[in-house]
Amino acid sequence: MIWLIAKKDFILNLTSSRFVIGFLLCLVIIPFTMVVSVDGYKNQMRVYEVDRAEALKKWQEVKVYSAVRPEIVKEPEALGIFTRGIEGNMGNSLTIRLGEYPLLLTGHAGTRDNPLLNAFFSIDFTTVIAILMSLLALVFSFDLFTREREEGTMKLVFTNGVSRSAFLMAKFLGVFITLVPILFFSFMLSTLIVVLNPAIAFSSAEWLGIILLFGAAILYLMVFILLGMVISAWSKKSSTAIVVSLLAWVWLLFLVPDIAYYSSQSVSKVAPYDNVLYSLDELDRVFREKTDEKWGEIQKQMGLDGIGHWNWSGGYDGYDELYGCTWETNEFHRRLNAWREPARLDNADKKWTFQKEWLDGLQRQERTRQVMSWLSPSEIFQQIASSLCRTSPESYLNYMQRIREYRATLIAYFHGKKLFESFSYFTQQDPKTFLTIAKTQQMEEEGFFDSKNFKVPPYWEGSYYLPLNLDDVPKFTFQKQNAAGSLKASLGLVVGLLSLGIALFLVVIGVFQKYDVR
Amino acid sequence: MLQAIELSKRYEDGHLALDSLNLEIKPGEIFFLLGANGAGKTTTINLFLNFIDPTSGMLTINGIDVVKQPLLTKKYVSFVSENVMLYGNFSARQNLDFFANLGGKTNLTRKDYYNVMRSVGLQEDAFEKKLKTFSKGMRQKVGLAIAILKDADNVILDEPTSGLDPKSASELMQILANLRNKGKSILMCTHDIFRAKTVADRVGIMKEGRLVMLRNREEFLQDDLEKIYLHYMQEAIMFDDANLKS
Ligand SMILES: Nc1ncnc2c1ncn2[C@@H]1O[C@H](COP(=O)(O)OP(=O)(O)OP(=O)(O)O)[C@@H](O)[C@H]1O
Ligand SMILES: [Mg+2]
Repeated sequence: MIWLIAKKDFILNLTSSRFVIGFLLCLVIIPFTMVVSVDGYKNQMRVYEVDRAEALKKWQEVKVYSAVRPEIVKEPEALGIFTRGIEGNMGNSLTIRLGEYPLLLTGHAGTRDNPLLNAFFSIDFTTVIAILMSLLALVFSFDLFTREREEGTMKLVFTNGVSRSAFLMAKFLGVFITLVPILFFSFMLSTLIVVLNPAIAFSSAEWLGIILLFGAAILYLMVFILLGMVISAWSKKSSTAIVVSLLAWVWLLFLVPDIAYYSSQSVSKVAPYDNVLYSLDELDRVFREKTDEKWGEIQKQMGLDGIGHWNWSGGYDGYDELYGCTWETNEFHRRLNAWREPARLDNADKKWTFQKEWLDGLQRQERTRQVMSWLSPSEIFQQIASSLCRTSPESYLNYMQRIREYRATLIAYFHGKKLFESFSYFTQQDPKTFLTIAKTQQMEEEGFFDSKNFKVPPYWEGSYYLPLNLDDVPKFTFQKQNAAGSLKASLGLVVGLLSLGIALFLVVIGVFQKYDVR
Repeated sequence: MLQAIELSKRYEDGHLALDSLNLEIKPGEIFFLLGANGAGKTTTINLFLNFIDPTSGMLTINGIDVVKQPLLTKKYVSFVSENVMLYGNFSARQNLDFFANLGGKTNLTRKDYYNVMRSVGLQEDAFEKKLKTFSKGMRQKVGLAIAILKDADNVILDEPTSGLDPKSASELMQILANLRNKGKSILMCTHDIFRAKTVADRVGIMKEGRLVMLRNREEFLQDDLEKIYLHYMQEAIMFDDANLKS
C-alpha cells in the first residue's frame, strides 16, 4: 500500500514541470561548476609542480647545514574539486626555519592566475548540491499533504483503509525516489567530468570519500524532504506552505550561515596579527642584541680585535657560510653558532606562545562559527563534505601540526648530529686547511700573498664544493587521511544530521496525526 | 449495514452540528437523507468515514465501531463525495487502477475498468483522457466507478447528482437500485426529492442536526414528499421569524 501511493506520486512527479526544471537546472549548473573547479584544480596542480621543483632545486643546492631550510609545498586536494572548503583561502607552501614555528601556509593562494579577475561564479559542487537539493526537496514536499487535501483526493485515499503513518511514509518515499535519481545523476555527471580528465586520478580513499559524500547528500536530502513535510502538515493551504518553505529555505541556507559568520567574529574576538607581530619583533630584537653581546664576548674570550672574513655569506635567520677564513674566524663562528642556534630555537619557542594564542583564537572563532551554523542543515552538510574532502579547517590545522612536528624532528636530528657546534654547520672546508692568524701573518711576510704570484686556493671558494648529501636528513612526509579517518572526523556531524532527520520525522508524524483531511 | 446511535457532534467553534442522531441503514436498503444546507448531512458522512471524531454517541459499519477500528471499517465502505476530485494528471483508467489497487483489488484488467466506466455512462473517448480535462459530471461518474469497483457492503454518497445531467442522474438511480439488489446498504445525502421518490426505500429529513422525519417508501409515496419537506422547512422559517420578533 505504501509502495502503491509512493509509485503513484513518483509517476505524477516525473511528469510534472518541477521535475523537468529541477533536472535541467542540475544538467546546466553541475557541468559548469565542475568545469570551473577542475580547471582551478589543474591550475593549482601546475603551481604545485613548479613550486615543488623549485623547492627541490633549492634543497639540492645546500652546501652547509645552516642553509638547510626544507620547503614544504602542499599538494592540492583532488577532492577539493568537489568541496573547496578553505583550500582557496590558504597558501600552498612554507619554509621551515629554526627561528620560527610553522604557523600558516604562505605562497600562492587560491587558484586563479589573475587576482584582478573577479570570479562572478565560484561555488563548488557541494554548494550547488546543498542549494539545489534543498530547494528541490522543498519544492516537491511543501504541498505533499496540502495538495491532496485541496484536490480532495486525500478523503478518497483515507476511505481505503490507509493509515496515517502509512500515508506519511508513502508520501516521503514518493519524493525520495523522485529526487534520489536526480542526486545520483548529479554525482555521476560530476565524477564523469573529473574522470574524463586524464590529469586527475583519484586514489581509492578518494573514491570512497566521494561515495561517503553521496551518502551524506542523501541524508541531507531526507532532512529537507522531512522539513517540507512538516511545513505541509502544518499548513492547510499550499499557498501558505510555499511561502513558509521559501522563507525557511532562505533562512537556513543563507541567513543562518551569514549570521553565524558575523556573530562568531563578535562573540569570539581575535586580535589582529599585527599585535602578535609587534611582540615577535620585540623578541627578535632582544635576540639580536644578545647575539651582538655574545659576539663581543666570544671575541674577547678568544683575544681577538676583530673578525676578518675571506668569503662569507650569512643572514639574520641563521644562515652562515664561510670559506678561506682563518682558524680563529672559523672557531669564532663555531662557538657563536653553538650558542646562537639553540638560543634561536628558544626564541622561537617564546614567539610560539604568542602565535599559538593567536592561532587558538582563530580556531576558537571558526569553531564558534561552526557550532552556530549547526542551526542550518546545509552548513552541517557542508562541514561533513569539507571533512570528507579534506579541505576543512581541521584538516588544514592538522597538516600544520604535522609540519611543526616535522620541524621538531629536524631539530632533533641537528642536535643528535651535534651540527650546531660543528664546522660543517657553516663550511665544507676541511678544518685541517684552516690557517691560524699567526700562520697567515708569517705567509704574508714571506710574500705569499703578493699579487704577482698569489693564486687563491680553489678550496677557499664556495664553488669548489659540491652540495651536501642530505639523504640522512629527515624529510617531511604527510600521510593523507584515509576515508575511515575522514568519516570518523565527520561522524559527529553525520549523527547530528541523522538525529535532525529523525526529530523532523517524529514531528511530522505527530503533526499529521491531527491533520484535518477534509 | 450503517448505524449511528445517539450521535452528536459539536465543532470546535461550539456549533452543535449533530444532536443525538439515530440512524440505521440495513443491507439492501437505499436511504435518502434530505435536509437544508447546513442541516448536518455532510457532518454525518464525515463521522462515518472517521474524518472527524464524534463528540458523543457511536457509529458502526457492519457492526464494527468506526472510532475504535477505523481502518477495518474502511474495508466495508465506499464513498462518492460531493465534488469528486481525482489525480488530474492521470487518465480516468489510471485513477481507477490506483484506487482499485488501494482498495485491495489487484487483479483487474483494462477491460474491467472500461466496463465499469461504461456502466456509469462515461463516454468511451474519455477513458484514457487526463482527468484534469473532465467536466464536473464526468468526474462524478469516475468517482462512482471507483466506488462500484471497490464492491464494498456499504456505499455513502454525498450529493452525487449535483452536476449530473438528467439522463446521467437517472442512470445513477438505476445503478443504486442494482447495488441495492446486490444487498448493499446505501446512504445518500441529497436535495433531490424527485429522485428520492424513484428509488429510495426510506427517507429521512434532517434539520439543525436532528432527524425530524423518517418515512419508508409506502408512507412517503402516500403523502406528498415535497409537501412534507417544505412543511418541515417552513417550521424553521417561522421559528426564525418568531425569534426575530421577540
Ligand atoms: N469544520 C467546521 N467547523 C465548524 N462548523 C462546521 C464545520 N463544518 C461544518 N460546520 C457546521 O455544521 C453544520 C452542518 O454542516 P454540514 O456540512 O454537515 O451541512 P450539510 O447538511 O452537508 O449542508 P449542505 O447541504 O450545504 O451540504 C453547518 O452549520 C456548518 O456551518
Ligand atoms: Mg453537505
